[in-house]
Amino acid sequence: MYDLIIIGGGPGGVAAGIYAARKKMKTALITDTFGGQSLVSNGIENWIGTKSISGFDLAKNLEEHLRAQTGIDIIDGDLVAGVVKKDDGTFSVTTKNSKTLETKYVLLTSGSRRKRLGVPGEDKFDGKGVVFCTTCDAPLFGGKTVAVVGGGNSALEGVEDLLQYASKIYLFVRSEVLRGDPVTQEKVKSHPSVQILWNSVIEEIKGETFVNGIKYKDVKTGESKDLPLDGVFVEIGLVPNSDFVKDLVKLDDFGHVIVDHKTQQASCPGIWAAGDVSDVLYDQNNISVGDAIKATLNIYDKIKKS
Amino acid sequence: MATVTIYSTPTCVYCKMAKEFFKKNNIAYEEHDVAADMKAREDMVNKSHQLGVPVIDIDNNIVIGFDQKTIEGLLGLKKA
Repeated sequence: MYDLIIIGGGPGGVAAGIYAARKKMKTALITDTFGGQSLVSNGIENWIGTKSISGFDLAKNLEEHLRAQTGIDIIDGDLVAGVVKKDDGTFSVTTKNSKTLETKYVLLTSGSRRKRLGVPGEDKFDGKGVVFCTTCDAPLFGGKTVAVVGGGNSALEGVEDLLQYASKIYLFVRSEVLRGDPVTQEKVKSHPSVQILWNSVIEEIKGETFVNGIKYKDVKTGESKDLPLDGVFVEIGLVPNSDFVKDLVKLDDFGHVIVDHKTQQASCPGIWAAGDVSDVLYDQNNISVGDAIKATLNIYDKIKKS
Repeated sequence: MATVTIYSTPTCVYCKMAKEFFKKNNIAYEEHDVAADMKAREDMVNKSHQLGVPVIDIDNNIVIGFDQKTIEGLLGLKKA
């Protein structure tokens, strides 16, 4: 029986793991990979204490720091499939690789994952013109016509990544406004290869072996049009990874775990959450670290008192 | 010894993870940067029908993405 199981290996999970190990709590951390969503970032300029670091190096540093601790069991390359609360108030955590672990307390630092469009053709052409990692695959679209979907920072940065490769970029924005940094907005808006399609949503992705076009709808006029193109880059935001606790804790309308922001406790006694999976106001690496440490110290207080 | 080829782009972190994995396990591999090398890109697309990296070829078995479990299986590695 563990004192604590930490679910997730982003900055929050790793911070919690280090604090828990140093408090000599009997802890396990379960994660697929380290680094969280920043893993695919080319450069992170606001990780405090480091002027600039790639997502890959940040992930490596986090993993190294965690592995330097003694007394924490690290289960990587695996994902949590379910959490069950037992009659005695402890928890049973099962993983995709069919491991089962018992614990007194659970800390959710499972972050979030990319939202998908949910339109016909999206799954069929995943990796065949539909792209979910713009930094990875932008160089493959040299001289091509592509669509980027979304109106926030990740979509704008996606367009920026593509500017040096694609010959024509259509940016599909569902509303009439761009969110995201003003500086990037200006760069994207003024670039001759970029055409912004306001109030427009993609309805279908078409192709044979690879994507060769889309059908989209102008939501104001209700008119549908076809557009030939070679790639669709989906950058429409994130969904919290809270599915496996949805019957145990209260979630907000977006699926974030609702927490008491003083302690990070969720609605179910014995479960804490921190970082992007929680209903934190700002999704930031530095904030996830602080909130996860707050949760870990609060869990430690609970253990001392029991 | 398996023949391993990885098709990658310089900005792809999953490609880096795959290469680190090969190094850690002393697996020799050949790398093609499909951002710059059009011929290699064509080979990759023909082999995999895939327009996304990494694509990894292990003795003519095509692996899409850094799928560590499948790669371990094909290379006969067992995770400790």
